[in-house]
Amino acid sequence: MSARPEHDRLTMLASIDEITDANVLLGETVARLLEYVVPAFADVATLDTISPTGELTRVGSRVQGPGREHLERGLLQRRPVAEAPVGLPRALASGQGQLIERMAEEHLRAIAADQADYELLRALELRSMVDVPLLARGRIVGALACGVGPSGRDYGPADLRFAEVLSARLALALDNAGLSAAVSGLEQRFEATLTNLAEAVLVRDARGPLVFANDAAARLLGLPSSEDVLAMTSEQLMALYDVFDEHGHEISLDGLPSARAARGESAAPLLVRNVIRTTGEERWLLHKATPVFDSRGVLSMVISVIEDLTDVKRAELAQRLLAEAGQALSSSLEYEQALKRVAKLLVPGLADCCCVALRGDHGGLQLVALVHADEEKQEPSVSVAEELAARLGERGETAAVIAHRRALVVPHVDEALLARAGLDGELLERLRELRLGSLIVVPLAAPGQPPIGVLTVAMAESGRRFDEVDVALVQELGHRAAIAVESARLYRERSLIASTLQRSLLPPALPEIPHFRLAGAYQAAGEQNDVGGDFYDAFEVPGGWMVLVGDVAGRGAEAAALTSLSRYTLRTAGRLLGDPIAAFEQLNDALRERDGLSLVSVCCVLLRAEGEPARAEVVLAGHPPAYRVRSGTPTPVGVFAPFLGAYERGGWEAVTIDLAAGDQLVLYTDGVIDAVGEEERFGEERLVTTLSEGQGASDTVARIERAVGEFALGPQVDDMAIIVVERTGRG
Amino acid sequence: VSTSSQLSLEVRREGASAVVSARGDIDLSTLAKAAAALDGARAGARSLVLDLREVGFMDTSGLRLIIEEQRRAAATGYRFAVIPGSPRVQRLFEIAGLAGDDGLFLDAPPHSDGGGGG
Repeated sequence: MSARPEHDRLTMLASIDEITDANVLLGETVARLLEYVVPAFADVATLDTISPTGELTRVGSRVQGPGREHLERGLLQRRPVAEAPVGLPRALASGQGQLIERMAEEHLRAIAADQADYELLRALELRSMVDVPLLARGRIVGALACGVGPSGRDYGPADLRFAEVLSARLALALDNAGLSAAVSGLEQRFEATLTNLAEAVLVRDARGPLVFANDAAARLLGLPSSEDVLAMTSEQLMALYDVFDEHGHEISLDGLPSARAARGESAAPLLVRNVIRTTGEERWLLHKATPVFDSRGVLSMVISVIEDLTDVKRAELAQRLLAEAGQALSSSLEYEQALKRVAKLLVPGLADCCCVALRGDHGGLQLVALVHADEEKQEPSVSVAEELAARLGERGETAAVIAHRRALVVPHVDEALLARAGLDGELLERLRELRLGSLIVVPLAAPGQPPIGVLTVAMAESGRRFDEVDVALVQELGHRAAIAVESARLYRERSLIASTLQRSLLPPALPEIPHFRLAGAYQAAGEQNDVGGDFYDAFEVPGGWMVLVGDVAGRGAEAAALTSLSRYTLRTAGRLLGDPIAAFEQLNDALRERDGLSLVSVCCVLLRAEGEPARAEVVLAGHPPAYRVRSGTPTPVGVFAPFLGAYERGGWEAVTIDLAAGDQLVLYTDGVIDAVGEEERFGEERLVTTLSEGQGASDTVARIERAVGEFALGPQVDDMAIIVVERTGRG
Repeated sequence: VSTSSQLSLEVRREGASAVVSARGDIDLSTLAKAAAALDGARAGARSLVLDLREVGFMDTSGLRLIIEEQRRAAATGYRFAVIPGSPRVQRLFEIAGLAGDDGLFLDAPPHSDGGGGG
């Protein structure tokens, strides 16, 4: 073949590179590629692609000269003979370009599949051929076949080398087109998926404007629809919210991961507390941003995914608060100090202001603790609260809180409320200046005892509002605080030794459950310093009651801390979620977040309030079975499953049983069956025998205690907790 | 205290594998001893086996030790397995939902003293 000017060929390569860069579809790419090859380099050319599974597909053909259309169609339908020793099949098999400088009859016969194919090839009047594999990303993605004849040209070794250079460019162009075809198909599916996704997704163009927002994003941001989101600039959108990080520091638009990603900075996920300015609605949002770059590495857009962690975060916050409050309350018998610490814990996480007032000996309330988030308002708040406590203690709505043991919830403090309080001008003015928004007042009341005061939490500057979850949490705190204060007072009166009292505080008083009778026992093993890890609890949940016993592996201070965490977590999660397995998952996560291995075994029962016979769900985690005793016959209940804290997922399973009148459900910790006797352990068999003789809840508990006590030899190494739930039936 | 449980431990090494054989009770009072034996055996071992055949009693503190070892093995890349003990000991694994953990249990190797045909 006569040498064409070198720059023609360079132009051709440059043109192919242009196709490579432009994101065009596969079919279009092939057509344009072949246009560059024929007639500049060949009279006839075909292009094949090979799928990753090795399937050969002819994607284009181009012929120069008379009969072109007919020949092109023929070539397009043609399938190369795989076993041919020359030409294209050989190029694919060897991965090497093949040159046939002078086509002969034998070549045609070798390539042709049959007579018709032979006729087709002959009609091309080929004199020379080159066949080259197309290599991209280390694999053969196709093949290019070129032939010359009618134009009078011939191919030589130099043309083969050029064809190889050409093939590399073609391979890249094809590969790219294939990819972009896959991507554009993806894009359509992508958009459909995003629109329906539960997570909020926002896409911001590299130049700044929002180009996409799904419905979930609109919901999360408190806007009617995604169109409303898109109609705003990022700055306008940001102006709708107060945004804080976990430590309460304000976050600006520039500080969000999406803005950081847009600036090319690293964009670690950021958890923020997002408060909608107009409504005070608060959400915990996890912002994640991913920059997307085009083929040249230039930023084209930033995709943000916003996850709503409000429920998780609040449950976590509630658990932490309760656990910390529990610690604060039990750490000191000076209850005024303890109450001050509790108030401090609640501000500013839960409220902007918290105050505790106790009833005095001669009526009226006395302020014992007040914490305000804003230091400048601390003093004015104290003086207002002191006067209010003295004046409102025995009348008005605060008095009703005490009299009826019911929480007072004020979504928004308004003039009407202030008027009802019947305050005079000066105090009213000072109260107004505190700019209180939302308010909750709960009684400080231990079960069965008259309330001893009130706990008040209020929102001010932050503009947040309380909701039902907050009310439940604050009530629980009031409850705990009251128990602690009562205990402390009791302690002062009787001056028992502190350790004994703390010990006696460990197991809670069992509540009265309609149509059930509960009895329990708790025996701590060994010395005071070895406070073990058994616990039990019973409390009301939505739709029923939860009763549980648990055991913490280990002993000493570490075990005691774990016991406290476990009990409060199960209680909080149980009350919020009303489901043993969900509560287990919460505690499992909390345990796994701790350093080292923290294992807790629990047997949890959910008693349904409705139904006759009653129904109970029993769930075990690393715990021996519960027993249902019916007509003197104990039957084990529960599916064995891992300890809480052992593995990421537990596979805990609920077993539902019914409890007819007279049935008993027995929960115990392994201190019972592991009790050490003269020669062996108490064991499950002895327990079963003991249970078969029990006559009702209290009797059964007493029998277990007696049987273990008579069997056991010397001080025991493990704690023991027992709860028996007896169904008394309705009416 | 008279009720203190008894536990003796024997560590055998063969190349990079170590076998800890326990005899007696594994509970709160013997836990530290068992943990120390495992710590010693683990050093330099690519495979660690705890033989429970001669254990008369085990409580949840023993299980905790085993789960801890299992976790450590997964994290640092050595093999840890347990030779099952008496039905009583195995009952504990069952309660902890571990009875079906095929990766944890090893078939007992033939007794070196040649006892028991089969």
